Order: sequence, then structure tokens, then C-alpha cells
Amino acid sequence: MTDTRLDTAEGNLDSPVPSGERPILEVNDLVMNYEMKTGMVSAVEGVSFKLPKGKSLGLVGESGCGKTSVALTLMQLLANNARILGGEIKLDGENLLDLGDEEMRKRRWNEVSMVFQGAMNSWNPVYTVGEQIRETMDVHWNPKPTTAEARAKIEELFEMVGINPEMIDRYPHEFSGGMKQRAVIAMALACDPKLIIADEPTTALDVIVQEQILEELRKIQNELGMSIIYISHDIAVIAEITNIIGVMYAGKIVELGPTTEIFANPRHPYAWLILSSTPSITGPRRVLAPLEGEPPNLLDPPSGCRFHPRCPFATQKCVDEEPPLADIEPGHAVACWHHEQVPVTLATVEA
Amino acid sequence: MLKFIAKRLVQMAFLFFLFLSLVFFLLQAQPGDITSQFINPEIPAAVRAQILARLGLDGSIWSQWWTYVTNFFTGNLGVSFSQFPKPVIAVVGERIPRTLFLFTFATLLSYVMGFTLGKRVAWKRGGFSEYTVTIGGVFLYTVFYPWFGILMILFFASYLGWFPISGFLTPEFWRNAPFTGNQVFGQLLLSLGIAAAVLVAGLLVARRVPERSTARLIRRGGYVLSVLVLAGFWILRPEMRPYAFDIVHHTILPVVTLALVAFAGTMLLTRSSMLETLKEDYILTARAKGVPEKDIRDRHAARNALLPVVTSFILGLAFIIGGGVVTETIFGWPGMGALLLNATIIEDVPVATGALAFIGILALLAHLLVDILYNVLDPRVRVQAGN
Amino acid sequence: MVIKDQETAEPIESVLADEARVGLREGDALPESLWKVRWRLGWVGLKKNWKLFVENKIGLFGLGLILLFALMALAYPVFRAWGPWQNSSIYDPVIGYDAVVAELEVMPTEADVIDPSTQIDVGNAQLWCFGAFPGDICEIPRAPAPPNNDHWLGTDPLGRDIASQLTYSTRAAFFLGAVAAIVTVVVATTVGSMAAFYGGWLDNFLMRLADLVLLMPLIPILIVVSGMFTVTMPLLGIMIGILSGFGGTAIVLKSQALSVKVKPFIDAARVSGGSNMHLILKHVIPNVLPLSFLYMMFTVTEAVSLEATLSFFGLIEAPMTWGIMLSTAQTQGYLRSGLEFWWLLIPAGLAVSLLAAGFFFAGRAMDEVINPRLRAQ
Repeated sequence: MTDTRLDTAEGNLDSPVPSGERPILEVNDLVMNYEMKTGMVSAVEGVSFKLPKGKSLGLVGESGCGKTSVALTLMQLLANNARILGGEIKLDGENLLDLGDEEMRKRRWNEVSMVFQGAMNSWNPVYTVGEQIRETMDVHWNPKPTTAEARAKIEELFEMVGINPEMIDRYPHEFSGGMKQRAVIAMALACDPKLIIADEPTTALDVIVQEQILEELRKIQNELGMSIIYISHDIAVIAEITNIIGVMYAGKIVELGPTTEIFANPRHPYAWLILSSTPSITGPRRVLAPLEGEPPNLLDPPSGCRFHPRCPFATQKCVDEEPPLADIEPGHAVACWHHEQVPVTLATVEA
Repeated sequence: MLKFIAKRLVQMAFLFFLFLSLVFFLLQAQPGDITSQFINPEIPAAVRAQILARLGLDGSIWSQWWTYVTNFFTGNLGVSFSQFPKPVIAVVGERIPRTLFLFTFATLLSYVMGFTLGKRVAWKRGGFSEYTVTIGGVFLYTVFYPWFGILMILFFASYLGWFPISGFLTPEFWRNAPFTGNQVFGQLLLSLGIAAAVLVAGLLVARRVPERSTARLIRRGGYVLSVLVLAGFWILRPEMRPYAFDIVHHTILPVVTLALVAFAGTMLLTRSSMLETLKEDYILTARAKGVPEKDIRDRHAARNALLPVVTSFILGLAFIIGGGVVTETIFGWPGMGALLLNATIIEDVPVATGALAFIGILALLAHLLVDILYNVLDPRVRVQAGN
Repeated sequence: MVIKDQETAEPIESVLADEARVGLREGDALPESLWKVRWRLGWVGLKKNWKLFVENKIGLFGLGLILLFALMALAYPVFRAWGPWQNSSIYDPVIGYDAVVAELEVMPTEADVIDPSTQIDVGNAQLWCFGAFPGDICEIPRAPAPPNNDHWLGTDPLGRDIASQLTYSTRAAFFLGAVAAIVTVVVATTVGSMAAFYGGWLDNFLMRLADLVLLMPLIPILIVVSGMFTVTMPLLGIMIGILSGFGGTAIVLKSQALSVKVKPFIDAARVSGGSNMHLILKHVIPNVLPLSFLYMMFTVTEAVSLEATLSFFGLIEAPMTWGIMLSTAQTQGYLRSGLEFWWLLIPAGLAVSLLAAGFFFAGRAMDEVINPRLRAQ
């Protein structure tokens, strides 16, 4: 476990899940389907995880694996055809799924805020950025802030995320991509939420700006003790900033554990393969092994283990029976019948 | 902003010049020679040449064209054939305020109705109401307009008797009136103009106030004040009031009919524009922010959906002006449209072309207004114009 | 001008054409001639689009209306040649005359109320029945007559059969719509592709002209024009076609042509020596045509309404149209008395409205097929 093959950030990867403390977010057996003309799409299937206060959790997986669906289910911002069929979302002990629409609306942003993918489009083009941040305060602060209070708070937030406070009265189109994303982060903090969900926070940005944004988020987690859920297809991003990782495949979490642990010793074949297909700068040179095949059609998911059609270790058991997400050591759970067979070193292709 | 308006004005002037030239060549292209039509053929050739010279018909077609255009811009549109020797500008000038009145109210009403209903239909997608409203909207949009006008008159005026059947005022009632219709109508326009000015002033002041609650107060104060001004204006003119009421009573049915037909287009467009906007990411953001649904609909979705609707106003404009001509004819409303049609039927060519030119000016000015409005509404355009 | 170039739909045929090219490049020899590929792809595209179109109930409703009117247009010649209106000049829509005879009782002129449908006063009766006295039964010709066995929709104030006028006018409306639509497509496609391809002053000039046409209300212009010239149906169709083709349609087609202009296959064709004219004819026009057809539908809607309005004002030279039917009723003063003479008011007005609506509905459904953005998920 000493050869960390990816450039993980130092410092913030302390020990995960301290026992005894109540997690800020606890998700149990969450099931969500989309109802289509042709049938039900099983988008989120029995997802469970815990996020301790002040920590960050990353959900990683191919596009279409249900990461964003999990985020939207947490916020209950789903399309009309989505059906939450079961499970619990406990935010600080309160099950969000028990709340009515109006109650849930009051929780949004006030308790859970979001940083969306593609900040360019998260801003309404016809209002200034200041007005849009202020809107969240007007909706959630009690009593509503006066203009002076609101400005002071926004200026403070702008300074924290590194935006010139004079930009407060500018329109979104006057901001650069990175600045818009910083402003979104500032907005996410406007109501002092308990949790921030960052859905692909850096995907649309260039590499340098990406790094800056991640730095901002890391700062927020460390300085403000904020709990953050990151959602990304980019395992390098997740590696850099999270304490815990959940690897998702076809609507399920297939491996869950501390980031360092998973990077050092991936036990699920899917996790092992995606790590193998990611290059490393500091590690030994090797030829990357591609992940073959297509993600499954969730209208009609494969039987048993959903990964079996693409899995190099699959057996008849994988076709017939679904593996449970079980702990292999404390804090590290895997849903695979053959996790012992997964090699310790990453896969390579013969050159 | 001023620079922008100036630039637009120059463009409009150019477009109008083009339009006027087209009108002139249309006149030239009509069959038969205007000289042989109106000058006695038995007049000796020398005298005839003299008359032609006096009428400015002796030069080449280009010099005639130049004379026509320059005359137009100095307000000389010729003399009406049917109301000889009243100049066309006077005939048209009398009609302009009435048409403007009908047109403004119908436009405002249709836009307010169309936008409100369109955004609601799009918000509550699907189901019975959407089908009914869409089909009803398309029917109003494509209905044979003169026929629809007749049906409205038959129902609301003949059958229910709520409104007068046609006209601008009730002649019997005005027989001993101390005022002329135009006087009262002028006062009516004046009072509405003042009220509108108060309203707009309130909105402009409210825009500059940073504190949102104060701004709202000023805005509402503006609404109330404008109503008060309107009421005060007419309280001070008790003897004129019943006559003004008579005119207003005559305007309601034509305004509503025109608005109903024009509203359908706005509604259908608002609906599809809203549906587009609702797919935008910032709507999801707004929902994630916990903004109440009604605010998402009105402040976020509808505000953006408004932009293409305002743009389409240009298309709607031609539609509503055309509709205005028909309305005036069906309802016997003595405005520019009725003037245009009557002049055409009795072959009063100077009046017909004069009215057409002024309808063109009306369309261009309304277009300018929309351009300015668009500028105010869309900050992205605002910046480009500033640069 | 703030008219934003409308976001353009992915040119369906260009995608298909690309596919065809890829297919050809991979094949060793030409498996089939190019036009065959084109035709086959066009057919596949058409079938796919038809499926999408059928899903839209409103579109089908519109298509149903159009077909209904097509049947109506057929009904006139068929009925005149073989059907119930055979060999009878009373069913001529223009010169037919059939005064349905009504038997009315003659009442004294002083009678308080005389019901015009069953009784007649002496003064009037003497016009028709010489020497009529109160109590006599007087036979007088009646026009307009209400619907009856001979005249399914009654007769107009001149004793002409409404049903035959209605069906006869349907043909005229279709004819006008077709002329206007074809002219629009030709004008708009030409103007749009020329502006897009040649650019420069030509583009500027054409687009300013389009702005002007767009701004100017059609009805007043057509009213003045029809006062100055004798406007017949074909001429009206051409005028409407030119005006609506030059305006909004040209602007939309130009932006569509611009989006085709930047496609790789245009560069390929240009590199292989295609002139602008060749590119426009072979590549741009096939790609903007679907959108042109869409605007064709809306032009028909416009043309039908405009024609009816102008003939309602008596400004069109035509033997019979729906507008003229209403105009006749209006000028003879039959529309002021409520719905008593409903057969003069309802059929013609409804026909104009429904035919226009039919094309509009079909056009909207086509719009959803061509612009996938508008489709509901």
C-alpha cells in the first residue's frame, strides 16, 4: 500500500469515518427509477454511504452511471418522470425524504447547496451575479438581509473565493468561466449550508483554472469545516480532494472506502480497471489498459452483478447472484464475488 | 443609449425612404396615365403642358420621384381628391391619434394576456388545459378576422347589447354637445399620456433604487399615483366626462377584438419560448436554491422567455396593424385603416398612399420602441450597444 | 434590427448525404449510382419523419382538416358532373339562380306584428301577388332561403346555392395557397442562399429589403395595390408569395444556408472545383428545402386569410371565393340581424378559419419534426 500510483494531494487525506460521531449525511438503500414509455430505468439502485462532518466524499464513474442522479435525488430536484422508490437520506439526523415539498424547498441551499457542472449556464443571464446570490439570502435568511448586510456578505464571500468585490454588480456574461465557477462557490456558501454537492465542478474549465477551483474548494473544506460531496467522471480530480470515494457502476456503488485505500488497493474489478486506465506522472511508466465494452442499458440491466458482461473475472455466479456491498476491512466495502482475485498491481497491456 | 437610438433612427429613416420610393413607383406603375385620367383631353396641347408643369408632372420620372420624396418630408402630401381641397396631411393627421389609441391599447392588452397565459400553460405542461389553450390559440390566430369581428359584434353588441354596434361616438348624444369629438378625444389622450408618464417615471425611479423593498414601494406608488392622476384629471372636467365615457364605451369592443386575435400569436410564442427556457441550467440552479416555484416561473423562466417574445413583436406588429385596418372597417372606427380602405375604394389615390406611408411610419416607430425595450431587457445586448 | 438569426435545425439531408459519402468512400467501387443513394436515403428520412409527424396529434388533426377540404374541392366538379347537382344551372356558384318559393299568408298592413317567416303584409304581398288580400296565401320567391332538400346550406341573397359556392371556392383557395407557397419557396430559397453565399453588399441589400418587407403590414399594402390594379387570384398568389418569401422566410432560410455553408462537404465540393452556383443548386438548396416546406405551410395559412379579407372588402377579381360570399351577405345587409341568416355567415367564415388552421397545425407539427429542440421528451 505504499506505492500510491496517482498524484493524491497530501494533507487532507486523514483517516476517514471516525467512529461514534453522527455523520452529517447518511444515505441508506436509495432507489430511484425513471419512468419511460418503454419501461423503468433503474438509475439509482440501493445506494448507501455515510459522510462524516467536515469530510469530503467523491462519487466517481463513467457518464450515465447514476452519479448525477444521486446528487439530484439528494436534492430532490428530479424530472417529473423520476420515482424515488425507497431508502433514506438523513441530513444531520433528519430524513429528507419524509419532508413535504415546501419543507424541502426551505432546506435546499439553506442546508444543502450545489455547485453545478458548467457554471456558464448556472447563471441567469438577465440578472447581475450579486442579485442572484442575494436571492438565496432573501429566500432563506430570517429575517431577510438589508441591502447593506447582503452586500457585505457577498463581498466577504467574493474575497474568500478570490473575486474582486467590485464585480458584484456585473452580469454573468462579463465573468470568465473560472470566475463564474468561483462565484457559484461563493453563492453556495451564502446561507452557510451543512453540505455542498459539487457536480462536476471543474469539467468545463481548462486545466489551470480547474486547479484553482479545486484549491478553493479544498480551502473551504479545511477552513470552514464544510462537508462536500464531489461528483466527477475524472478520477484524478476526485483523488486530489476527497477523503472517501464511492465508485459507481450502473446505478450502484460497487466500492466504497477511504481515498488512499482505494487508490492503493482497488478491490472491485471495475475500480481496478478505471484506475488502470488513468495515467500517472510520478508512478512507473506503463501502457494503459483500456476498459472495454459499453455501459449497460439501464432499462434492462444485466442480471446478477451488473458489471459481469465487461468483467475479466466473471463467473456463472456473477450472472446469477448479485454481490452485496460488504466490508472487506473496516471502512472499505466492495460488491464483488471475486475481489480476492483482483491483482494488487494495475493492469497493463502487453506492449 | 442615445447613440444607439440615433443610429437606429438613421436606419429607420433609410428604410422609410426606401418604402416611400416603393410607394411612388407603385403609383407610377398603375395602369393608365394619371394625366389622361384627370385632365380634360380636349384642352389644347399648350395649356395642357402648362397644367402639367404646374402640377410638376413635366419632368422625368426621377425628378418627379425626387419631388415626391422631398414634398413628403416637408409635410406636403398633396390634396385629397374626395375632400378637395383639404390637404392629405390634414385628413391623415385627424385620423392618426385614433388609430394610435386603438393600436396601443390592443397591443398592450394582447401582450399582457398572451404573455401571462402562455407562461402558465408552459409551466403546467401537458393535460387537457394545454390542448384546449393551444387549439383555441391557433384558432384565434388563424380565424378569418373580419368574420370574427362580425361575430363579436353580433354577440356583444346586438345580442347582449353591452356595447354600441359601431362608430366612434353616438351622434344623437352629441347633437347639443359643447365640445367636438376631437376635443374630447384629445383630452382623453392627454390624460392617458400623463398617467402613462407617471407610471413610467415610477418604474424608472424604482430601477435606480438599490433597496428592493423600497423599489417595490415606489413602483406600486407609481401605479396608484397614475390611477389617481387619471381620476383627478376627469374629476376636474365634470361637463366633459359623459362625452369621454361615450367614446371609451365605443372603443372597448374593437380593442378587445383586436387584442384577442393578436394575443394568440403572443401566447403560442411565449409558450414555446418558456418551454425552451425551462430546459436551461439556471432554472435547475434556481430550484436548487430553494426559490419558490412562482418566483422561478416569473422571475427566472418568464423573464428570459420574454426576450424572443419581444423580438417577435416586429412580426406581430405587421399583424396587428393589418388587423387594425380590418378592425376599423368592421367597427366603423374612423382611423387610418378605415381611411386607407375608403380612399382605395373611391380611388382617392393621394389619401390612400398618404395613409399607407403613415402606417409605414407607425410601424417603424413601434419597431424603434421595441428595439429600445429589448435593449433595456437584455443586459447582453446592452453591453454590445455600449461598446 | 434585433431579429436574431433563428437557431437553425440540423439539416437532415446533409447528415444523410454525409452518411452516403462515408459509405461510398469505404466501398471499393461505386455500388449504386449517386442519385439512387440519394433517393433511398431521402425515402428513409421521409419514413422516419412521417413517424415523428404521426406522433403529434395536433399535426394529424391539421392534416385531417386539409384532407377534408381537399375532398370538398373535389366534391364540386364531381357533383356537377355526376352527382346531385348534375346538369342544373341553378347550382352554378356565380350565375345560378333558384328562388325557393315560400307560401306566406297575407296579413293587413296595420297588423301589430308580422312574422316574416310565415306571414307577409299586404304592401309587400302586392309586389309579388297582384291583387292579394289579407287571408290569401301568396307565393313569393325567397332569397336567401334557409337550408332545404335542394339547397343543403340554403341560398344566398341572390338565390345562389351556398353549398356549391362553398365547394367551388375551396378549389380557388387551394389554388391560391399553392401559387403563394411555391412562389414563397422559390423566392425565399433564392434570396436566402444568394445572401448567404455571395455575402457582401448583395447580402446587405437583400437583408435590408427583407427587414422592410417584414416591417410593413401586408394588408394595407395589398389594399392599396388592389385599388390601383385589377388583382386576380393568380396575381394575388404571386404577390403574397413574393412579399412573404422576401420577408421572414428569406431571413430564416439565409441562416439555414449559412449553417450549410460551413459544413465540410461544401469545402470538399469547393475544393473539387464547384462554383458558387453549383454549390447552391446541388448542396444548399436540397438542404434548406425541408425548412422551406415548413414555411410553405405557414404561407398557405397567410394567403388563405389575406385573400378572404381582401375579397371581403370587394378588392379581388374572382368569380367566387369565401370572402366574396361573406361580402355579398354583408353588403346586402344580412349580417346585422344576428344569427337569423346563419347560413350566410357561418359556412364561409368557418371554411376560411378551418383551412387556415389546418395548414397552421400541420406546419407546427412539421416544425417539431424539423426542429428537434421543440419536441417534447
